[in-house]
Amino acid sequence: MKLSRDGWAGLAVLAASLFLFALTLGLKPSPLVPIGPGFYPRIVLGLTAVLAAALIVFDLFTKKLPVPLEKANYAAVVLHFGVFALYVVALPWLGFRVATFAYVAAANALLDAPRSVTGWLRVGAMALVTAAVVYVVFEHYLSVLMPRGRWTGF
Amino acid sequence: MYELLAAGVLDILQLKYLVPLCVGTLAGVIGGALPGVTITMTIIVVLPFTFGLDPLQGLAAMTGVYVGGSAGGLVTAILLGLPGTPSSIATTFDGHAMARRGEPGRALWIGIWASFFGGMLGGLFLIGATGPLAAFALQFGPWEFFSLFVLALSMVAGLAEASLLKGLLSGCLGLIVTVLGTDPVMGQPRLTLGIRFLEGGIPFLPVLIGVFAFAQIMSELEKMGAGRRDPAASLIVPKLVVSHAKVVWEILSRPFLLLWTSFIGVLIGVLPAIGGSAANVMAYDQAKKFSKHPERFGTGTPEGIIASEAANNSNIGGSLVTIMAFGIPGDAVTAVMLGALTIHGIQPGPLFITQEPKLAYGIFGAYIVGHFLMLAILFVGVRWFLRIVMVPKSVLFPVILVLCTVGAYALNNTMANVYVLALFGLIGYGMVKGGLPLAPLILGVILGDQIEINLIRAVMTDANPWLFLTRPISGGLLAAAVASMAFAIWQHHRAKGKLPAESGADY
Repeated sequence: MKLSRDGWAGLAVLAASLFLFALTLGLKPSPLVPIGPGFYPRIVLGLTAVLAAALIVFDLFTKKLPVPLEKANYAAVVLHFGVFALYVVALPWLGFRVATFAYVAAANALLDAPRSVTGWLRVGAMALVTAAVVYVVFEHYLSVLMPRGRWTGF
Repeated sequence: MYELLAAGVLDILQLKYLVPLCVGTLAGVIGGALPGVTITMTIIVVLPFTFGLDPLQGLAAMTGVYVGGSAGGLVTAILLGLPGTPSSIATTFDGHAMARRGEPGRALWIGIWASFFGGMLGGLFLIGATGPLAAFALQFGPWEFFSLFVLALSMVAGLAEASLLKGLLSGCLGLIVTVLGTDPVMGQPRLTLGIRFLEGGIPFLPVLIGVFAFAQIMSELEKMGAGRRDPAASLIVPKLVVSHAKVVWEILSRPFLLLWTSFIGVLIGVLPAIGGSAANVMAYDQAKKFSKHPERFGTGTPEGIIASEAANNSNIGGSLVTIMAFGIPGDAVTAVMLGALTIHGIQPGPLFITQEPKLAYGIFGAYIVGHFLMLAILFVGVRWFLRIVMVPKSVLFPVILVLCTVGAYALNNTMANVYVLALFGLIGYGMVKGGLPLAPLILGVILGDQIEINLIRAVMTDANPWLFLTRPISGGLLAAAVASMAFAIWQHHRAKGKLPAESGADY
């Protein structure tokens, strides 16, 4: 018996729900109300654990059909998650304008690598326009104070 | 009611509301026409622009996106054979076949006019049913609300994916998100894992934006450079001139088809979190079953286009009813609208229409005017929208993610919301890859607090747990929840032999 995708998903959820369930046991009941803060979380986490366990059991005992492998570009997904994570981390340090320019340029170049100087100029122009337009619209017209960079002050 | 409706329409016709409605409808049509960009993603992109507007301006823009997006998907579905949104999948079956047969203008305008008439019929239901349903919901106590929310979750879990178990698990994960933070009765912190930000709970809009935007965009990125067809490569803009009187007559001369498929759309819309993607396919299937010539379906018959498009636009009316009468989002788009309302301190539910009549009838007005604007926008720009598919996704997706980031940040000007967005983006994509449906998770996140509050209110009012079953409405709702799960299990077993392996991810 071997776990498939469903079984591993069930196992991850089971572990997380049991961990959180254990934490609810440390919640102190309130003397003012009959129902403590752990009452509802215990119901939800207990139910989740039962469902996750059921998913594992079903996965172990169900005949698995071969799933056709789809050609997928996972490298692009991983790269994009990585670039986006860097963007999120960089926002408070570089500020919205610099970080957004860098992110849009990097993401655009990674998804469709420019092959000429004109291509790089197009990527740069696109990133500049995006950062500038979003900044102007939100900061000046919609009164949203965009993040300023701790390093750049910009 | 009619005076309030007329006032709502007149309100919307004022420039301050008409401009956001117009912009929203245009954005909806463009987003709908772009394959790989759903209406949910378009409304998520529009959301941050509404923060600085008054509630009706923001909701007018969002209603416009919803109406425009439901119709916009048909443009590429018919002319390129690529559904712009999942809600126009069935339109490709006959719409594209008719276009290939040499009648692209006829196919396109049958679709557009069917969307308009379907939308108007959905509007009749929306306007007529919201008040009575809200009045009925006023009889509800905490037992009934708890049971109603449980019914909504069980229906979504059962209908959103082939596996009920995974649907329920996904719903429970959504509920877990809401228990992190503060206990709603005494305000005591719980399960915060020592993270200060969690003491305020996890705001649901960054969760929703992260889950839907990343799941969609990353799934599209998987396809990039993996041998998929480039839609722009086959782009030749055809002649689209037709006699509109003839096209309208083609639709109105089939009143049963129009009414029945619009009814199906409304019904699917009322059911929580299912949406237009199911409505158009079910309506198409029904139109084929009722047709005297089912063999013509798939070869370019107008009935197929009318069924699909009337259903996906009437679906909007049904979705708006559930949110306005019960506070339960009919689909992901109305979930974002619910978020926009809560940002402005407005709680949709049974009291919404009586406490906020200007807003409620303004939404009705935006819905009606939005359909006329959709017609006008498509009339002027249909050829231009076809060229929009040429916008490279390598440009589009980073811009969308920047707007998602701004949307999360601008909720209360804090980076913590951006971290939540990124985390749930990862979780959402992981769930898609793990085969867990997203719709129950979102509904769980939205309804979690309300489920807990109503459960605790009920138990604190009377500790007898049997009241959930013995109170007639509550008992009926719980029985319906059990029936919906039994139906899902039956449907799953029936479909098991027919389906090849597993259905696609449900956004």
